[in-house]
Amino acid sequence: MAGSKASKHVVPLLMPRSYMSTESNKTGSWRFLRPRYDEKTAPCSTACPAGEDIARVEMLTAQGLFKEAWETILKENPFPAVCGRVCFHPCEGICNRGEFDAPVAIHVMERFLAETAVRYDLKPLLERCPAKKEKIAVVGAGPSGLSAACFLNRLGYVCDVFEAASEPGGILRWGIPEYRLPLSALRSEIAQIESEGVRIMTDKRLPADFIDRAGDSYDAVFIGCGHGRTTMLRIPGEDVDGVEDGLEFLNRIRSGETPAVDGVSAVIGGGNTAVDVARSIIRLGGKAVILYRRRRSDMPAFQEEVEMALEEGVELKELLAPAGIVKDRKGIFITMRPMKVVGEDEGGRGRVEPARGKTQQLLVQRVFKATGAESVDERYNPPDRRRNVLVLENGVLVDRPKGPAVFFGGDLVNETKSVTHAVASGKAAAIALDTLFRDGFKAVPGRAASCAVGNGKALSMEVYLGGERSSRNPHVVRFAEVNTDYFHFAPRITQPRLMREERLNTFKEINLKISATLAIREAERCFNCGVCNRCDNCYLFCPDLAVMREQDLTGRHVDYDYCKGCGLCVVECPRNAMTLEEEER
Amino acid sequence: MKRVLEGSHAVAEAVRLAKAQVISAYPITPQTHIVEILSDYCSSGKLKAKFLRVESEHSALASLIGAQSSGVRTFTATSSQGLALMHELLHWASGARLPIVMAEVNRALGPGWNIWVDQTDSLAQRDTGWMQFYCEDSQEVLDTTLQAYRLAEEVNLPAMVVLDAFFLSHTYEPVDIPDEKDVDRFLPPYAPKFQLDPANPCAFGQLVTPAFYMEMRHDIDRAMGLALTRFTEIEEEYARLFKRRYGVVEAVQCDDADVVFLTSGTVTSTCRLVLKTLREKGEKVGILKVKLFRPSPVEHIRAALRSAKKVAVIDRNCSFGVGGIFAQEVRAALCNQPGHPLVYSYIAGIGGRDVTPELLEDIYWKTRNSEAPEKDSIWTGLQEVAHGTQRA
Repeated sequence: MAGSKASKHVVPLLMPRSYMSTESNKTGSWRFLRPRYDEKTAPCSTACPAGEDIARVEMLTAQGLFKEAWETILKENPFPAVCGRVCFHPCEGICNRGEFDAPVAIHVMERFLAETAVRYDLKPLLERCPAKKEKIAVVGAGPSGLSAACFLNRLGYVCDVFEAASEPGGILRWGIPEYRLPLSALRSEIAQIESEGVRIMTDKRLPADFIDRAGDSYDAVFIGCGHGRTTMLRIPGEDVDGVEDGLEFLNRIRSGETPAVDGVSAVIGGGNTAVDVARSIIRLGGKAVILYRRRRSDMPAFQEEVEMALEEGVELKELLAPAGIVKDRKGIFITMRPMKVVGEDEGGRGRVEPARGKTQQLLVQRVFKATGAESVDERYNPPDRRRNVLVLENGVLVDRPKGPAVFFGGDLVNETKSVTHAVASGKAAAIALDTLFRDGFKAVPGRAASCAVGNGKALSMEVYLGGERSSRNPHVVRFAEVNTDYFHFAPRITQPRLMREERLNTFKEINLKISATLAIREAERCFNCGVCNRCDNCYLFCPDLAVMREQDLTGRHVDYDYCKGCGLCVVECPRNAMTLEEEER
Repeated sequence: MKRVLEGSHAVAEAVRLAKAQVISAYPITPQTHIVEILSDYCSSGKLKAKFLRVESEHSALASLIGAQSSGVRTFTATSSQGLALMHELLHWASGARLPIVMAEVNRALGPGWNIWVDQTDSLAQRDTGWMQFYCEDSQEVLDTTLQAYRLAEEVNLPAMVVLDAFFLSHTYEPVDIPDEKDVDRFLPPYAPKFQLDPANPCAFGQLVTPAFYMEMRHDIDRAMGLALTRFTEIEEEYARLFKRRYGVVEAVQCDDADVVFLTSGTVTSTCRLVLKTLREKGEKVGILKVKLFRPSPVEHIRAALRSAKKVAVIDRNCSFGVGGIFAQEVRAALCNQPGHPLVYSYIAGIGGRDVTPELLEDIYWKTRNSEAPEKDSIWTGLQEVAHGTQRA
């Protein structure tokens, strides 16, 4: 307390004044609620079969840390350049931003990051565990085999990959057209896997009894040879001359051939292979008609691909099932039976059965079968669940009393036959085999479950290795848990593309590159659900100055000596990276 | 130098001459012209002050409390709802003994939404420890603002310079703008008696127990008393430099008056005309203009009304359930004086309605010709309103 005097007059001026620091008042003792930093799980990362840490990837991208963002993807998926292009991005379907304006274009940025890495010839900083004695053979250098080898190699195992074809990549190399996945993008990622220490032996077609003989050299075998044979249509005439295998056709194009496609070709099927075949025919100067027994909306092919195919002149005939094929001098006659929708299957796809009405005839020059594929040898099909057979989300582990353990992955086991599911298989194999070798067969299911992203289906290698991500709360952040006051409406990036006219006679990649500026702008749209991006709202709003920033600004912590537990930090956290709990007394 | 100025701009000129260092305000009609021109001055460099744009009047005053605590001269302006929003901080400013100066343009409070003159907004803040000056014209606004700084900084109390919406704030009149050097002599740079200083950290305004709080409040009241005497002295000084003086009250021909109008603000000017007319008719009438409302010039009021038989108080305000606020003050000042005049309370001109010479003359005759007030508070000039009434 102090008074003061004016020069001429005495001014009554009793004022409270203190020279004591308020730090002596430990207001933390008033607290009955405790805020803490509690990073949670973003929905996108649970929907991604590879369990990529998308919220963090976007955060790093928005900060311009492209290499770190790229490395964050590589921890969970060695194929960002591939997946950024051909994955069906289920992450975007579940994106919380979709409830606000439009989902973040996650796949566009995944590709951008991979391309940036190539452009600047970046070398990722990835840890490799100490070398282990076990050796693993991988059958098939497709996405699942390469992923398995990549992850097992990082865990310290020696991996040999055996590939029947002249170049690794499997369906990515031989089955997906260049306009969707350029060779350079695939090759750079395979080169990266090889540079980490994986040996790939091409032109090495293994006999089917390899599994039984591998025990001499290997402790485990990963079977990821995929479905190499198109399934039979089971209709009369399907083996006549002019009826071709769609996958085989795509393979020929990617081998450098230019197959003749004059006249009209019919493509039977509704998946991506059917659409790829049809669009390739257009590019080779032919005409293509897709015959599909269900409706367009039921097609398993990506909607965008179907849309572009129609733009390019592919014709689509729905609700028609081929009933027979006859060849004569004019060409090939396909008899088609009209179908009708009679309800829906579990996935919401229309169920069809033959409808009454006349069959139709279609005259074409060629027919391509693209109705699905199957394994070329029975022995590559995984066994059913037994005592020594463990069925995981993306793979089947067989612990054999004699001989090496076997893991079946990729299209051989996956219900959804996608690249990213194949990557998931490879990762599941690495986690399962490592656990098998270290802790035994019984430990595998528990260990796999412990590194599931948000207690979902996807597994995280970073969590398995006890990285930063393993401290994340499995709680999946809902839209209502995001503080949208801190976000502005912003349009989703439009993917720049070749014009239709530019696409018609070339296999050049359709989707064009985007600039770093656009990538950052799009990444900034991400809510980063559950992940702290150091926006410092907590720091700014804390009325007690109890939010402390680490010297290097990498982290924040709460000073519980002074935190009164008002909860402002938690409410003002835009991305739900904090939690308020009742104080334990 | 004489210039034709809007009342609002007269305030701004005074703030410029006072060299306020931090200005913070939120726009509200009819105050906005004041800070508009000041923000111009700040951006052009004509006034070397920091202009803070804030999101509310509450923040405007809060930021000035911070600024003034660090030892600089400050200014804000507001009206009506804006002043009401500042209420909490009005108490804080006086309790913290910060000599902040504010221009308050009297405007009615909503609802019904009304931007016109009404004194209820500022009078409702009479107990916040702010000094209040009610001005009659633009020249008085300018002079009073400069005096307010001088007085506030001497006694460590905040001051409100009050002017009528539109009748004063938006009316152009010739105003004599004093020379900057002369103003500097009258109002030297702010010399704070206490201030925040990073070199010597301390906290102001923390917890005070019952053992000291009462003394602190007593000091505020004592400082108000000191302000009353100091204002007269400061006015003397001002008059020596600038030849203008207004007084805490102004008594116009009160000495022989039977009926005295008690007025404040622009109504006074209208009343001066009515006084002339009535005096010409031989009526013994006077005017007591009250300029200083807080601290209350009780002795001045008593002295001026010593010989009057009746006082007709014109209130452009209402404390609902009691009546005119100036009338309450006058009654309180007079009640212990033996043989004091009868107090007639007239409510007029609420929400910007014109107080015409005819109305004032009416009030005069009504007062003169009655034995005693018919009611404690009389609403004048009301229209018959047929609709909108409901049985209670």
